Amino acid sequence: MPNARTLRGRTSLKLPEWGQALIFLGVGLVSLLFLDATWIRMLFLVTLYATLGMGLNVVVGLAGLLDLGFVAFFATGAYVVAIWGAPISPAVTGTTDFWILLPMAVLAGAGIGLLLGLPVLPLRGDYLAIVTLGFGEIIRILALNMDNFTRGSSGIFAIDKPQYGLGQVDHVNEFFVMVLIAAMIVWFVTSRLRDSRVGRAWEAIREDEDVAAGMGIDTTKYKLMAFATGAAIGALGGAIYAPFIDFVAPQSFSLIVSINVLALVIIGGMGNTTGVIAGAAILIGVPEILQFDETANLLARFGWLRDAANTSIDGLNALTTLDITKLPPAEEWGDKLALYRFIVFGALLVLVMVLRPSGLFPSRRRQLEFDSEPTEPVTGGV
Amino acid sequence: MTVLFLASPEFWADQFVNGMTTGSIYALIALGYTMVYGVLQLINFAHGEVFMVGAFAGYGVLTALGGDEISGAMIALSILIALLVAGVASMGTALAIERVAYRPLRHAPRLAPLISAIGVSVFLSHLVDDGFLSGEAKFYPTIFPTGDLALGPAAITYLQIFLIGSSLAMMFLLYWTVQKTKIGRSIRAVSESRDNASLMGINVNRTIVVTFALGAIMAGFAGVLYGLFYSSIRGSMGFLPGVKAFTAAVLGGIGSIQGAVIGGYFLGLTETVGRELLNEIPGVNLPNQWKDVVAFSLLVLVLIFRPTGIFRQRATKRA
Repeated sequence: MPNARTLRGRTSLKLPEWGQALIFLGVGLVSLLFLDATWIRMLFLVTLYATLGMGLNVVVGLAGLLDLGFVAFFATGAYVVAIWGAPISPAVTGTTDFWILLPMAVLAGAGIGLLLGLPVLPLRGDYLAIVTLGFGEIIRILALNMDNFTRGSSGIFAIDKPQYGLGQVDHVNEFFVMVLIAAMIVWFVTSRLRDSRVGRAWEAIREDEDVAAGMGIDTTKYKLMAFATGAAIGALGGAIYAPFIDFVAPQSFSLIVSINVLALVIIGGMGNTTGVIAGAAILIGVPEILQFDETANLLARFGWLRDAANTSIDGLNALTTLDITKLPPAEEWGDKLALYRFIVFGALLVLVMVLRPSGLFPSRRRQLEFDSEPTEPVTGGV
Repeated sequence: MTVLFLASPEFWADQFVNGMTTGSIYALIALGYTMVYGVLQLINFAHGEVFMVGAFAGYGVLTALGGDEISGAMIALSILIALLVAGVASMGTALAIERVAYRPLRHAPRLAPLISAIGVSVFLSHLVDDGFLSGEAKFYPTIFPTGDLALGPAAITYLQIFLIGSSLAMMFLLYWTVQKTKIGRSIRAVSESRDNASLMGINVNRTIVVTFALGAIMAGFAGVLYGLFYSSIRGSMGFLPGVKAFTAAVLGGIGSIQGAVIGGYFLGLTETVGRELLNEIPGVNLPNQWKDVVAFSLLVLVLIFRPTGIFRQRATKRA
């Protein structure tokens, strides 16, 4: 049943996807010329999380499988590069070149994805959610306790940097270019997959698994493929993250990373790469920017606002039995707000699901699925 | 390094009692998962946070009544009040969650309420941890009379007796409510088929609300017991017991009340006794955290081989 939204969607002018990717790449490269290291570091994180988001998007957005343990694959990639790429790691003597470790990490991620998916994917979706949640924790606990491989909570550092023609990747600008290239490759691969026979099978499974199976789609096989693809991309992100941060320890791989990636996919718009990038910019970029010195300087100008607020709080406290805490100095507001980011993420997840379930920047097909009401029979004209 | 079965019978008896203690808490929380899953086929991811709210409500009551200063007859009274208030607070939280995050999504695609539930869970745990406590833990006052009772080779503390006994009483009360009262009958009817129940004149919305309320009361109760036993509480405390209680519910066959209780005790015992048994193998010395690995591995194994639960004979479409 066509409604106003589908008609509007069909007639709207839309930039082709390669155009969007070119703009993204262009903005990234140009920003290298104008921004200093703290800003590039922020852009690195945004792009890294956008890449992770594209991976999770295949699993959640395209195939409709809720994976709450995405951090496990991110950790796998990071640990492969750290254990074989750092002289300090106890289990392996000598180091291997990063460009050999990178594909190994991706393969390891895909392998672990298959291993985990195999028992659970034939079951219904919600079990997958809880098993992946548990698995993410298992990986973290294993990393914490297998001191002989991972050095436990002391972590692995001094990881060999990736070598290239001119030297090695060690400046944040070089890492940013690296992750930008990775993001472009992942974007290309996931968009080609989405538009292929495989992608159509994923979307069919997402819409209705029983019907998809009835149409002759091997649902378990395609679900496994989606899961392994997402896992491989997660591991790729981890492999790039390890030499950048140069400290791989279990405390970096808690549940909150999975939640972060999930939130940016959902809030940005499932099934849509531009939405994922926008989600990463909002959910990763904004909290980082809030902690910048520039932000603190800007906020310091609002000292008068704080004084005014504190005067009223004083008055209110004197009049009533309430004991309201006074506001911190204006220049600390950014840091404080960044601290509360997960409260906002949680609330946003609920709000987006209830008010705009297709995300802020939805893919058109996704929007149709979420915004229509399938349970109501069509009675009479609308 | 330990040698095979060097540990004394007393040791094993103590481990058994410890297993029963954590098992009681898992079982109480698992009831909420299993009942909500029964009526809505929804994993209530925020149930662990409902449990957390109960723990904090109980903490608030006990501190307000004097904290460590509570003594004599006031102890029993203040714990009773704490349990009641916690039950009400958890119930209020669960009903608010149901109204805001689940009910608008009842006819949405399956993924939507799950994601919304995760949102609530993240929101609540971080609201308490980052918003109110700046990442610090709170500690329950240690008011419960210490001392223990020798029961065969085992020494059970008074607190453990109270914990296990009151949990069993609550579970029995719930079982009775579901099996013998009118509202219990509507819960069972809605679990069978929401549409048919509605055709039989059952108010489905009200039944769902009551189901959430009953499960939440159990969770709030478990929260106070957890606080009394482990002392330290924080906003993120609901996560692990939540996942494990869900595991317990799956072990016993999700949707089944007896199953959740049995699954809870089974998991509690497997964790404590199971880890110690593994530690009996020469050369093995597993740290405490391995009990989490045991629990999750159990979950995966059960899902592979007996997705309808260990004890369930009837195959359901739910798995």
